[in-house]
Amino acid sequence: MFAIAAPNFVLLQGVIIGLGYGLLAVGLVLIYRTNRVLNFAQGQVGVIAAVFLVKLTADFKFEYWFALVLSISLAAGVGALSELVLRRLFNRPRVLVMVATIGLSQVLLALTALPFIRPHNLYKPVPVPFDLSFTLGSVIFTPGEVLTLIVAPSVAIALAVAVRSTSWGLNMRAMSENADSARLSGVWIRRTSTLTWTVAGALSAFTAILNAPGQTSALTEVLSPDLLLFALTAALVGAMINLTVAFVAGIGVGVLYELLQWNVSSTANQQLALFIVLLVVLVIRVRAIRKDSRSGERSTWQYGATTVRATVDSLRSRISVSGMWLAALGAAILPLILNVGNNYLFSQVCIYAVIALSLTILTGWAGQVSLGQFGLVAVGALVAAHLGGSVPLPLLLLFAGAVTALVAIIVGLPALRMPGLFLAVTTLGFAIFMQEAVLATPCWTVPGLHKTLCTGLPNPASTLIGRPSLFGLGLHSDRSFAWFSLAILLLSIFAVRIWRDKGVARRLVAVRDNELGAAAMGIPVLRTKLMAFGLSGFMAGYAGACLAFSTQRFSTATFDPTISFIIISMVVIGGLGSIAGAVLGALYLEGLPALFGANPTIQFLTSGLGLIAFILYLPGGLGELLHRSADALTIGVRVVQDRLAARRAGGPPGLGADVAPAGPERATLVPKAVES
Amino acid sequence: MSGSGSPAGPARLTVENLGVTFGGVRAVDDVSFTAEPGAILGLIGANGSGKTTTLDMVSGLVTPRQGTVRLDGTDLAEYLPEERQRIGIVRSFQDCRLYPELSVLDVLLLCEDVKAEVAVLSTTLRLPWARRAEKRKRAAVDEVIGAFGLDRFRYHRTAELSTGTRRVVDLASIILAAPRLLLLDEPTAGIAQREAEAFIPLLRRLHQVADTTIVLVEHDVPLVFELCTSVVVMELGRVVAEGPPEVVRADPRALAAYLGASDEALFASGPTGSSSAGRSERPPMSAQGE
Repeated sequence: MFAIAAPNFVLLQGVIIGLGYGLLAVGLVLIYRTNRVLNFAQGQVGVIAAVFLVKLTADFKFEYWFALVLSISLAAGVGALSELVLRRLFNRPRVLVMVATIGLSQVLLALTALPFIRPHNLYKPVPVPFDLSFTLGSVIFTPGEVLTLIVAPSVAIALAVAVRSTSWGLNMRAMSENADSARLSGVWIRRTSTLTWTVAGALSAFTAILNAPGQTSALTEVLSPDLLLFALTAALVGAMINLTVAFVAGIGVGVLYELLQWNVSSTANQQLALFIVLLVVLVIRVRAIRKDSRSGERSTWQYGATTVRATVDSLRSRISVSGMWLAALGAAILPLILNVGNNYLFSQVCIYAVIALSLTILTGWAGQVSLGQFGLVAVGALVAAHLGGSVPLPLLLLFAGAVTALVAIIVGLPALRMPGLFLAVTTLGFAIFMQEAVLATPCWTVPGLHKTLCTGLPNPASTLIGRPSLFGLGLHSDRSFAWFSLAILLLSIFAVRIWRDKGVARRLVAVRDNELGAAAMGIPVLRTKLMAFGLSGFMAGYAGACLAFSTQRFSTATFDPTISFIIISMVVIGGLGSIAGAVLGALYLEGLPALFGANPTIQFLTSGLGLIAFILYLPGGLGELLHRSADALTIGVRVVQDRLAARRAGGPPGLGADVAPAGPERATLVPKAVES
Repeated sequence: MSGSGSPAGPARLTVENLGVTFGGVRAVDDVSFTAEPGAILGLIGANGSGKTTTLDMVSGLVTPRQGTVRLDGTDLAEYLPEERQRIGIVRSFQDCRLYPELSVLDVLLLCEDVKAEVAVLSTTLRLPWARRAEKRKRAAVDEVIGAFGLDRFRYHRTAELSTGTRRVVDLASIILAAPRLLLLDEPTAGIAQREAEAFIPLLRRLHQVADTTIVLVEHDVPLVFELCTSVVVMELGRVVAEGPPEVVRADPRALAAYLGASDEALFASGPTGSSSAGRSERPPMSAQGE
């Protein structure tokens, strides 16, 4: 369609930013190889080093090289420390560890704000040790970029040598092949693992310090989804094993990005092209990755989620049902008491709970890790933005759900043949693509047809929609909308409970746990997987429409892809696969930070540290906690009942024994009572 | 019941010139045999002789490079694994993994799901037929749970069960699936000797109750000779002997291929062929478990 121009300086710029992606990708691969952990904190470790470097040179007037060594050691230490904290999780379901690293990266972000790390002047650029620059074409390459060109390849070569010829490298490679046999043949896997995280921390420091001179402030969040997507793509091209390929692929991604910048005018088209290239590359590499990945790979990327926990005990189930109704009743009364702002918050929590439920189906039950759930929410919101006033609300919600379900099924198609990590990357790509291309482009022309379609936000910077009315009742006030959101949440819970108990969940879990067995048993595997995407998409879709009506004014920034990470955190904090857990997770992550107000540090510590603490000390999540307290309550109630019965029976001992058998025996007496 | 209108009763399995290669190795090479309706066909051979791969091709998990698999004369080449299940081919796996996170009840309900799938929409809206279907499924499953004595394990996750109990759950799900051709892959693997002996009457009863043709892959040679109506011996992907147990037992090629040229192996149940002379004189297995 058009010739691609590739001037030298564009290529060189691509190489320079690509070196950064490459180093990041190498760090990801190192840690993945060693522990099978996808480390979302990989970028953030380095930011500490970059910020600390500024602090040392600008505030303390340290010599550059000395400061450099100090700050890189700091990052290496932070890397090692992270490993020590996360170590006990390494045998747990992969998605749990992944979420723990999301929490870790938030904690690290909070660390950079500590007084002895954060420089006085935040906008002081990261220093460069020499003043060397050159011009190529019409572009001046700054000293910072020259530094990258020298240092990044040297670091990569040094690492390659270390992996090939040191004992750490040998141990690390042995461990990545088979940790158990490595251990049995005398490899001290714990030390190897700590060392790997130390090396990865130092690598991350190099990435951040080299990238930083180009930015106005070093204090940036490196968990930027774009950067993560690029690094992950490069790592996947290296099959999560091959360091050299990952590094080179990182450079390739950088060059590709710069070429697109240079050749394609609109951001939307750049994103579209990037997304397509990403999908194509992954599809091409999928075969290689399946071949390279060791037999245990698939099983280690698995779940220990308990979906259905049936009770044999009638009292126990009565308690949970009445607890649910009490909670619903309390929630229904709450909007009467709350003020306007809190009512708004109330509806937000309800809607986020619905979104978390949608991910419970997809990730908790069907075992597909989606990092782009908020992209689906955006689809639902788009439908609301376009049809807001013209269609009756129930129809609109159904339509938003149906459209999103369709999109979710399309997004899920590649996942049918890909191992778990791939879906994570493609969905992340989808969420970014939704935000930066679809939402940001109000209208576009279909190539070849000369027809204009308006699929984006009518006004990407600020779209305003009014709240509709439901059967003639206005939902304009925050209070009535709070009730509406609660009703939607209750309906959703009702539907998900039916799916859990009446045959949908068991099919999803069967396909997740044993795909071959399920196929041989006659369960249509592909259709079941797509059903998970469809159901999840449907819920995310109408939740998205509700979210649009709740916020009323929104922009592309409202649909930040990082919110997907928060949603997956909700599901994990609540307890993977648990319905009550998803709601509690939404309450914790969406409700608590808002209550604690504006202080970002407190927010980061509640969600970041809280996240890690939950995963470390409460494996089953909030849902488990709820379950256990209901158990305790059941025992308590039973003791009281038995006492009362004994007192009523009073006199003859033979009669008393007849009336009140002890708790556990009684539980086995009523196995079928629950079923009806 | 399966909705495809296939006739009930045991089916005839015909395998003709079946072959497949894995990376240049001929895992199965020109294998042919027939299992008559209602027969129990034993497939024996050393490790790596292609028994499980043959089962994989019959159940559709592996696509053969050559040859055909026929069920009552219908060529199955175009049938996906789940479609083969619909026409009555049921398979149990060697590892008997089942579904670690599902309860016994759910595993058995799944078998019923396959027979009568209810659309998600009607489930969600709790339409009358969806309710009725679920109720019917639960009734059928309750019956089987009672028959197999699984009441105690109804709500246990399969991951929590012992291998023996998982086998029983597996057999229960086979009954529910109402097979016309049942493929059993080492049903006694990972089970103690004593329990394995108890398996013979259990499998006999299964054969009667389910009224099905069975293809049995098994290392326990005495069990195979005791149970099967015909035996196929495989070596390095080829069939070296086949026929009724008495014939195969006397066939020198079969002896050389698997039976280790030792008569004792024929009479000693268990993975090790080197048992004591005293045991070898024992009559084969008949009344042990009953």
